[in-house]
This record gives sequence, structure tokens and C-alpha cells, in this order.
Amino acid sequence: MQSANMLLKKFVRSSVLPFAAQHGMKKDLFPVSRTLSLSLCLKQDNSCSPSEKLDLDAWKKVMKSGFQEEVSETVSEHKELSTLAAARETLEMWRLAGRSVPENITEEQLQTFMECPSKSAKKKYLRYLNLKELYKKNDRRKMDEKRERRLETQEQASKTDETKRNSFICLWASCMDRAYSWRVAQSMIFGQPLVFDMSYEKDMSVREVTNTVRQIVLSESCNRRSVDPFHIHFCNFKDDSLYHKEFVKHYRDAWGKLLITATDQCYTDVFPKDKLIYLTADSPKVMKTFDHDKIYIIGSMVDKSIKTGVSLARAKRLGLETAALPLEKYLLWNAGAKNLTLDQMMRILLTLKDTGDWKKALEFVPKRKYCGFVSRPLHELKKSLNLINTLKLGKRQEELRKQFAKNYSKKLMQK
Amino acid sequence: VQPPEKPLEAEEWNRLRESFPLPEIFEEVMFNSMVRCNSPIDVAKSLLTHVAKSNGDIPYNLLVKYLVLCVQQRQTSEICDVYDIMKIRFKILESGAYNVLIRGLSNSDQWRMALTLLEEVKKIMIPSRTNYESCIKAASRHQEMNLAFELYHEMLAKDLIPTLDVLQAFFDFSRGMKGAELQKELFGILLYLRENQIYPQKTFMRSIKLWFESIPGGNWRGHLTNIKDSGQCPVCNHQLEDSDLTEEEYNNLRERIIRDVIHGTDTFRKTSPQEFEAFQTFVENRLPFDIVIDGLNVSHIKPRKMHCENLFDAVNCLAKDNARLLVLGRKHMLSNSSNWKREIMKEMQNKADFFFAENISEDDAFLLYATLQSGKHCKFVTRDFLRDHKACLSNSLTRHLFRKWQRGHQIVLKKMFLSVFIQQPAFCYDCVVQTTGDTWHIPYKDTFEEKYSYRVPRKWLCIQQK
Repeated sequence: MQSANMLLKKFVRSSVLPFAAQHGMKKDLFPVSRTLSLSLCLKQDNSCSPSEKLDLDAWKKVMKSGFQEEVSETVSEHKELSTLAAARETLEMWRLAGRSVPENITEEQLQTFMECPSKSAKKKYLRYLNLKELYKKNDRRKMDEKRERRLETQEQASKTDETKRNSFICLWASCMDRAYSWRVAQSMIFGQPLVFDMSYEKDMSVREVTNTVRQIVLSESCNRRSVDPFHIHFCNFKDDSLYHKEFVKHYRDAWGKLLITATDQCYTDVFPKDKLIYLTADSPKVMKTFDHDKIYIIGSMVDKSIKTGVSLARAKRLGLETAALPLEKYLLWNAGAKNLTLDQMMRILLTLKDTGDWKKALEFVPKRKYCGFVSRPLHELKKSLNLINTLKLGKRQEELRKQFAKNYSKKLMQK
Repeated sequence: VQPPEKPLEAEEWNRLRESFPLPEIFEEVMFNSMVRCNSPIDVAKSLLTHVAKSNGDIPYNLLVKYLVLCVQQRQTSEICDVYDIMKIRFKILESGAYNVLIRGLSNSDQWRMALTLLEEVKKIMIPSRTNYESCIKAASRHQEMNLAFELYHEMLAKDLIPTLDVLQAFFDFSRGMKGAELQKELFGILLYLRENQIYPQKTFMRSIKLWFESIPGGNWRGHLTNIKDSGQCPVCNHQLEDSDLTEEEYNNLRERIIRDVIHGTDTFRKTSPQEFEAFQTFVENRLPFDIVIDGLNVSHIKPRKMHCENLFDAVNCLAKDNARLLVLGRKHMLSNSSNWKREIMKEMQNKADFFFAENISEDDAFLLYATLQSGKHCKFVTRDFLRDHKACLSNSLTRHLFRKWQRGHQIVLKKMFLSVFIQQPAFCYDCVVQTTGDTWHIPYKDTFEEKYSYRVPRKWLCIQQK
């Protein structure tokens, strides 16, 4: 049937097309896929008359003839589009125009898209969805490739048919899990507390909250794997909050079995005030050593649009001691904000706790943010900088000479 | 890739495509370079024909690119053809295609079609300001001023900001036309400039001048001039509006500063409630001040000098005419250090009132509060532009008020290398489009003048009715 149809089409196209169109026969003759047959017959045409003069407007005919009837059918249907469908339609057109727009979009995402307040917000959201889709696709492709490879090796293995003998049954993963849990459980009784302050929800957008939770999940896993874990506290943690929702999304069933303390109380109610230290990049005080008796607080906040002083304000209100990491002292800072992600903070604190070595701990600061470690003590560096300045500007020479003379006379006196 | 100069046959296109490293995107790249080189339209057509014949279809993005080429070369009939084809092929179009279509059609004799397209765009989204710009320009070019103004008001109602080009077009195309209604609309545009503190550039100013002078029976004359520091126009001897805020505006600004800048989302971010209260009682007890000084800012004026010496010079210089001074600083200034000598600080405290904030508090917020609380005559001294505080204000109207107040009340100590401070006087007149009915004064930007947002133009257009 299909091939008969094709034949008919071909026949009609090449010879009787104008006639058929006039008499309205076309519709009855071929209601299905048109482009295929069209290109076929066109190619035929080409081969028949290779020396024909170039017809520049031929493309118009092709475009018009291919779709005329379809329009007469569809126009009435699509006249009234709901706003959602219209948005979907626009997205499709943007995709055709080559903008970064996701191929598939759910109703929910479409709704968020339409609620974006401005055109640039819409664009940004679409780009984000598009990237997400690309990553997902790449991951899936890689997984498929891996599976194929595994199947191949399995086949080979079954051919060689070699059995290995080992004294341990292969249960690494679950054994490790149990060992880690044992350690964390111990730290919940004897370990040093570390507080995450979960009171920043209203300072963040939804995306920022998701990022925050992601970072906390990462830090929790770091903590679990360390030799001497912290006892993690989530303070000011409300049960119906966005944080909670995101955590459940991440951990699923494991959320109930997590070895942390989550409470809706403030840290000042749980711990004595004089033991608390709020870690914030805005703090005027710089941390010198890691104190094993203190309880450090980290604000669970991601601020993409930098909001200075929010966590400092919180500490000020409660009258807590604050501290910042000595980034300036140990690193030649290059670019970027001094606030670090939560998992970086966790790694730094864990390393400090184990070794007390600042240099080792600050390895976890992203490499792009600093040029290198300060090799000499800071005051020496400053001295040489001053010297360079004096040489450059030629000023204060008088002053230097005087100082030198003074020092010299002092030395003489001592002798 | 270099596009060919003449239309090619299918065979030749095929050969080109094969030689291209990425054959999948060959057409796209080729079209891009055609647009860039402004190739003849026939070449593009031949490529389209080739694509159509080999695929039986032409992808949407190629059609749009072809459209761009047509618009670039003002091929009106071709634009219409492509639009027809697009209409048949696709249910709706996206913004990019509409932008190009509207721009192309509004420049042709088919400009009314651009208007229908604009209506179509409105069904699916808010048209961009350039869409409106093309339509308004087309309408006013054909002397349909009513239609143009209708579109203009529609645009304003949608919170779109018109480009200066559009505003200029109104003046250009209604030159010599009569009508009280039209005159009222154009005055409306001038008032729009006033409300949003927009300054026209030189060409725009010239359009305004020519329009005024062309009003039949209006007897308007325009002159270019510089306003004196006293605020008097040398041409018509008219005194410009002063820069003082009205009572209501002043109170509004003061409340906003307290609410948005000092308290913000959390009072603890900039100060603490106890400190702010202490400062408030301190200020209330000593009101009113004449000049409020940002101590730390002023103390850094000359880097070679000790901080307290700089401050001392400034206080001495400003304290001459029995002016009541308030110096704001931080507590660390009181500790006897290499930069802050206790004796000098003591001496200064005899000449001026001092308030020392906590080291982690922001003293700028206090500066604004103290100045505003002292009344309209009070000025403040700092080199800071106070941009971050302006940004804290929640709506644009208050931000404009803030700028105006700042222009009138901020004193800047210039010339750091002279031993004497030279004061730059605060403006005593308001730099904004203004009218008295039979005169108009319009500040304008010179084309070569560097434009900083904080710098106001010094050149004016004075228009008066004889």
C-alpha cells in the first residue's frame, strides 16, 4: 500500500500536479509524509535537465507547495492557544533559531519560566535548563558506553573462565559504611561540635538554597570519611523549611538515619555563649589557631549577589565572638571573594583539627583565588615592599638615613 | 569562509560544502559571512534553492538570516515574501524574526505592515523598545503624529524606556507643524526628561531648538549659553530653580535614609540599635550643625601626611566663620598611634564636635543622618560618591532625590597637593530641564564631554518667547 502510494505521488508530482491541485484531488491522493517524495522527484528533475538556467526563486515554490494544504487544516485548531502552550511554542521557535533553549521542558519548569520577572531572567533560566539537559545527556552517554565496555569484558572473562580465591568476601562498600558510621556515632558522644546556622533561608533565592544544601551534603560526607569527625549540629532548623525539603530530596530515606543533630533551637540555647565562635569573612578578628574547646559556627548561606555583613550582623546581635580565616596572612590573594563554600570550610576545619597546620589546611582554597603561599613572614615582606617604594619614589631617603644613624649610634652605645 | 560573488549551481555548492571542515553547519556559517560581507541577495537565494532542493525544507534559522540580509539591503518585496513563507510554515515566530521584520518593514513604504506585526508580537510577548522605536519612527516619518504618540504612550505604560533617538524623532518630524495638541505632547516629552533627569545630547538639543523656532506664530528664540554660578541665565537674566528639595521631599528623603540605609534588612549590618540611639541623642543635643565632616575620608586626602594632620587642616579651614562642625570618626582614632596623635585630637575637639562610632560600624550612614537632621542649610564634606548608599534606596524616585540633594549639599575638598583646601561649592541651582511658561532652560551634554553619572552638564539651551 505504502509503495503504491509513493508511486502515485511521484506520478502526480511530476506530471499532473497543476491539474490535480486545480481539481482539489491532492488531499485525497496523499495525506501522509510529503517531503520525502518531494525531494525524490526534485532530484529526478535535476538529473533530467542539468543544463537548465538557475532558478533563484525555486526555494519559495518548494516552501509554499509543501505546506499549503497543511495550513488550511491546522489554522482553525491553533487559533486559540493557552498561555502555556503559547510559551511552549515560543520556546520551540527559539530553539529553531539557535538559541540555548532546552529540548524538553516540563510543565513545572514552563511555569517558573513564565513567572520570571524580566526578559533577561527568562533567558538566564533557559540557559541554565539547557546546560542541565546537556550535562544529563552526556552523563547518560558515558554510562551507556561504560556498560557496553563492562559487558564486553564480562564476555571475555567468561570465556577465560578463571576463578579467583580471596580470604575476604567482596563487601568493601558496606563495611566501609559501617566503619564510618561507627566513627561518627562515637563523635556524636565525645566529638567536638560544629554548628551549621540554618537561619538564612529568607536571605536566599530558591536556587541559592538548593546550592547551600548541596554544599552541606558534600561537607557531611567529608566529615563522615574523616579520621576524627565533628559532631554536626543543624541549629535554627525548621521542619517545614525549604532546607528540609531539599535535604529530603538529596538523602531520601537516609535523611532519618543521618548521624547529625538537627534542632530548631538556636546555638546560644544549646551551648554556653562564651564557647561559641562565629566564622565569617567579614569579621575584623583573624583566627590564629584552631581551638579544640571552642564551638565553631558556619552560616549555611550561599550569596551569589554578595551580601556583606549579614552573618556578622547575626553574631553582633547575639553578642558572639567572631573570626575570619587568616587568608591574607598565608596566601597571596589574587581574585575572587574571600567567602568560601561550605564544603571547603569543612575540609579546612577538619585538616586544622587533625594537624593544626595552616598551610595544609588552606590547600583547600580554590587555586584560582590565590597566586601562592606567603613564604616569608609578612612583616619582612612589608619591609622589602617599603624599600622598593623608597627606591622607586626617591623620597624619605632623609628619613632612612636618620634612622640608620640612630641605629648605628645605638649599636655603638651597646658596645 | 568567503562567500562567492555570483549565484552558484547545486553542484558547486555541494563541492564547497564538502571542502568545509564541518559540513553540518556549513549553511549557517556561510549565511553569517554573507550577512557580514553584505553579499548580493542572489547568492543567498541560490544557496537557499540548493538547500530546499536537497532537503525539501529550509530550517528556520536560515530563513531568519536570509531575512537579515534582505533588511540590510532594503529588499521590501523579498521581506514580504519571506514573511508569507514563514507564516505558512510556522504557527508563530519568535522575537528575533519579529525584530528583523519590523525593522525592515518600517523603513519601507510597507510601514503599515510593521504596525500589524507589532500587534502580532503583543499577542505572545511584550514587544521590545526597539520594536516600538521602529514603528514610532515610521509613523512620524509619514507625518502620522497622532499614531506615533499613541504608540509612545503605550510604550511608557508598559514600563519600557524610550531611546533618546525616538524622542528626538518626535521633535525632528513635527518641525513646522501646527496644533495645540501636538505642542502639548512635545512639552510632555520635555517634562519626561525633567522627571527622569535625562540630559539630551547636542544633536537632540539642536532638534529641540529648531522645533521651538519653527512653531508658526510662536516667536520662540533659542540661545546656547553657560549658566553663572549664581544660577542666573546670562541671556534672559532669569534665575534658575534652586536645588533645595521641597519640605515634603526633604522629609521623605530623610525617612527613607533612616529606613533603607541605616536600618536596611538588619540594623546590625551597619551599626547596632544601641549605637544608633546613642548617636541620635548626641545629635539632638547639639543641633543644628553647619557642616558635617567624614573624618576618616578627609584624613586620607594627602597620603604623605599624618592622618590627623590632614583632618586638623580641614577642620581649621572650615571652622573659620564660626560654623558649627561635626566630625564623624571611629574609635580607633582615639588610640594614640603613629597616625593619630592624642594632642592634636584633643585640640581639634575644642573646635568641633566629634562622634566616634564602633570600629566595625559604617560612619557614612551617620553622616547622612546628621546632615539631614540639621536642616537644609547643612552641608557635608567627603570625597566619597556615596554610591553604595544610594543603591540601598528602594525606589528610583528617592534615588533621584538623593542625587539632587547630594549635588546641593556635598562639599568636595579638591587639590590635594596645595596646602590650602580649595572648596568646590555645592551647586545652588538645580540642573534639570525647567520652564516658566514663556522660557525653557534645557541642560545638554556636549558630544565630546566625558559622561560620568555624577557629573552634570554645564552647557544650557535657553529658549524664550518674544
